[in-house]
Amino acid sequence: MSQATVPVLLPTGFGSDVSNADREEARRRRDEWNAVDQSVRSQSFWRDTGKRFLQNKTGVAAAATVLLLALAAIFAPWLTPYDPLLGEPTDRLQNIGSPGHILGTDEQGRDMWARVLYGGRLSLAAGFIPTVVAAVVGTIIGVTSGMLRGVVGTVLMRFMDMLYAFPAILLAIAVGSSLGPGLTNTIIAVTIVFIPPVARVAEQATRRVVVQEFIEAAHLSGASRFRIARSQILPNVLNDIIVYASGLVGVAMIIAASLSFLGLGSAPPAPEWGYMLNSLRGSLYTTPLVTIVPGFFIFLTSVAFNMASDALREAMDSRL
Amino acid sequence: MTEIETTPDLLDAPAAEAARPAATLPERPLMELLDVSKEFSVRSDGKRVQLSAVNGVSLQVREGRTLGIVGESGCGKSTLARIIVGLHQATSGEMIFDNKQISTTKRRPREVVEQMQMVFQDPSSALNPRATIAESVAFPLQVQGRSSKEIAARVKQVIADVGLPANYATSYPHQLSGGQRQRVNIARALALQPRLVVLDEAVSALDKSIQAQVLNLLTDLQREYQLTYVFISHDLNVVEYISDDVAVMYLGQVVERGSAASLYEKPLHPYTQLLLSSIPSMDPADSTRDQPLDDANNKEIPSPINPPSGCRFRTRCPHAMAICAEEAPRPSNQADDHVVACHLYPGSSSTSLPEQDLRSLTAPAL
Repeated sequence: MSQATVPVLLPTGFGSDVSNADREEARRRRDEWNAVDQSVRSQSFWRDTGKRFLQNKTGVAAAATVLLLALAAIFAPWLTPYDPLLGEPTDRLQNIGSPGHILGTDEQGRDMWARVLYGGRLSLAAGFIPTVVAAVVGTIIGVTSGMLRGVVGTVLMRFMDMLYAFPAILLAIAVGSSLGPGLTNTIIAVTIVFIPPVARVAEQATRRVVVQEFIEAAHLSGASRFRIARSQILPNVLNDIIVYASGLVGVAMIIAASLSFLGLGSAPPAPEWGYMLNSLRGSLYTTPLVTIVPGFFIFLTSVAFNMASDALREAMDSRL
Repeated sequence: MTEIETTPDLLDAPAAEAARPAATLPERPLMELLDVSKEFSVRSDGKRVQLSAVNGVSLQVREGRTLGIVGESGCGKSTLARIIVGLHQATSGEMIFDNKQISTTKRRPREVVEQMQMVFQDPSSALNPRATIAESVAFPLQVQGRSSKEIAARVKQVIADVGLPANYATSYPHQLSGGQRQRVNIARALALQPRLVVLDEAVSALDKSIQAQVLNLLTDLQREYQLTYVFISHDLNVVEYISDDVAVMYLGQVVERGSAASLYEKPLHPYTQLLLSSIPSMDPADSTRDQPLDDANNKEIPSPINPPSGCRFRTRCPHAMAICAEEAPRPSNQADDHVVACHLYPGSSSTSLPEQDLRSLTAPAL
């Protein structure tokens, strides 16, 4: 039985010719090196993402468009002298470029430029608020069920799947019509529509993260599950959710506009883009260009959001 | 004593021996496992069945020493590691840590958690990719509610201890090499100043030269901080290098344990012999160190869902006898704390075997 060959990782005499003076010298140099080189810049994930995003021209242009639209909506009173709700019946259905009305007027003689600007407030709110609320609620549901698994996780996710099974617009119409018309109800309806997909994204990302060993290490240090969710899981699932949610803003605006178009959204005089599209439907043959103005803005905003979201995904995706 | 001091030639050896901390330590175990079992409930062919991952394991580690656990993949090594540190709750069994009895089937009390830490296998998934090295190392300290001043000092200390430059504290894991990440893992495990560190395949993912560095780091740290290690690996050479005692696991059971020297020099259990004979040789003329043992038809490792009756190794054992299928062998002490569970050796069976059978079998022809 020759079990004798012990593998030697280092030769027996390894390091025997090194004197203590050499060690001291090496230690001194190491300390020196460490002292000088303290300022290595940490590569923060968010800083890197920002840098990569800025290199993407399409993304920057899209983000700039979104920003411009938001600013225009916020500063609407400074950009137009007209009241979006008060029409001048004599100036009905002016075409684009007519004096005093750059974008023409609608069927009640209200200035389209003013209505588009003020309507941006409603439309952007209808795009942003449901997305943000759904992202927060969906993340909580998704991370919870992804971490707990078991009965709680299964029940939560199956319920989400049930809602997800409905086509988005159908569910929005169902919720919207049961709540009644109005912007607030539109926002609630769109939020409910968006929670399931966000929860699914969050759950999937959480499942991918929880099996990694650093979660076990966190458990081992005695951390509570809530603390692990907050400090270890959330930072690792957040980018998936942000990318997904940023793509939802455009969809939310379209759904909100569709609800308004169907009469389930904002109440009639309010300058909501979807409702404007509906009320101008009748004048499609007289002033076709004015009629498509609200549609154009819905299109522009949602495309800008989607392109910015794509750029964000790319910026975050490039694996560290 | 006075006589020895006057003779400087004689003094050197015993004094050096006495100076070694290990020699002065009490020989009582720091951690002891008593008959620990773990069953998982799994789905197989649509039915719920019990998978016996760890079955009746009893082990002990002495303070300041290293217990190596070897075995094939799927033999329950990692499950055992997670039971020891409390990540898994065992189905049954007890544990004694530092003379206190701890239930392995319930959640651990906090003060025990702090004293046992684990170094994980995969250096890429063991660190939070969104946290800097310092944040990762500081996390256990924050959880245990240390003051921020204490945390900063401790983080600096352990990062230096594992041989990383201080400026790495602000780096992210992806900026580090595999060996450096494993050093961070070790730093995180040491942050809470544990007494027992479980190393689950801690060097398996590293290449040979980095393995040597990390192993030497581990032994240095052990000497410096009086750490007790449970070192789990499938790499027999690495286990031999680092361990004082070695336990061999097969299909959830410990089949043999003893000091590293005696176990590697004179393996008793047929499975241990099989394992050792499969170590690749350094000589290109030989593919393995010895002729590989006849691995009865080279069978696959049996499923832990439905383990063989009696001795779990009998389906692959070259010495399988009738009794092996009927009765599970009991661990029996053969020599100097060298314990084996095999019917080939006296004390493992309830009935004794004929004398000449034993003689021919205790020295198996290889």
